[in-house]
Amino acid sequence: MQIGKISLHTTKTNTSTNKTPEKQFSTNPFGVSFKGNVIQADVFESAKNTNITKNIAEKSKLYASAIVSGINNFNEAFKSRMNSVVSFGKKITHNVFDTLERIGNTEITFDMNGIKNKMFPDRQYSVKQLSNKSVSELKTLWQDLDAID
Amino acid sequence: MEKIQKIKNIITALGNHEDSQAAIDILTEIGTNSPDDEIRELTAQTLIRKNTHESLRVVLISKGKGINDLSARVAMTAINELLALKDKKEAIKILDDTIKMHSEEDVRNTARSVRALMTFSS
Repeated sequence: MQIGKISLHTTKTNTSTNKTPEKQFSTNPFGVSFKGNVIQADVFESAKNTNITKNIAEKSKLYASAIVSGINNFNEAFKSRMNSVVSFGKKITHNVFDTLERIGNTEITFDMNGIKNKMFPDRQYSVKQLSNKSVSELKTLWQDLDAID
Repeated sequence: MEKIQKIKNIITALGNHEDSQAAIDILTEIGTNSPDDEIRELTAQTLIRKNTHESLRVVLISKGKGINDLSARVAMTAINELLALKDKKEAIKILDDTIKMHSEEDVRNTARSVRALMTFSS
């Protein structure tokens, strides 16, 4: 608030009953008197106070603008981070779906007999396993064994 | 598992195989010509247990195979297996034909001896 320096108004004061000559013009715009005397000085106006108020106002504005810009920056940073998070999520989702699609299109077969034969090489020479083979396979196996010294 | 045991298992599998003729061919081709007495012995046993005309011909008529094998162990095992057959008809018929018609005297003599054993054992 600023009150004052509107003090160039002239006020005729007639506080004396003796019709004394008119007092000098005061700078008090409101013509406030104190114990019969018009207050000459503009007590409502304070340069210091004005400056402080101004400073506070200005500082408040600065703070406010800083806060606003801070909020804006925060929003931008948040948005950019959220965008990166969202894009990361999209990428992961895409990869997961891509992998699932690949799994869906992949035919997985396990040659259990082959695996067992590799783990237990002698297993394929058991009578039970050999009985399931064709005669030509048995002949090949026999010839292979004969070839080993 | 040792090599000999693997081959024995193959011979056993061939003995039980549904494709009997193909199995006999392989036993005749590889088993009866094996340098290992144990393999020849097991092959002769398997062929006799098949008890078919083709399988018995190999062990009764062929020189150096079955009852005519140079190894006494192989020959005796083959003879024991023949004697253990429940149905000896086919074996006796082949032995009779061998005694009558085979060109090799050694083969005829062996066939005669085995025929006599089978007569006494039945």
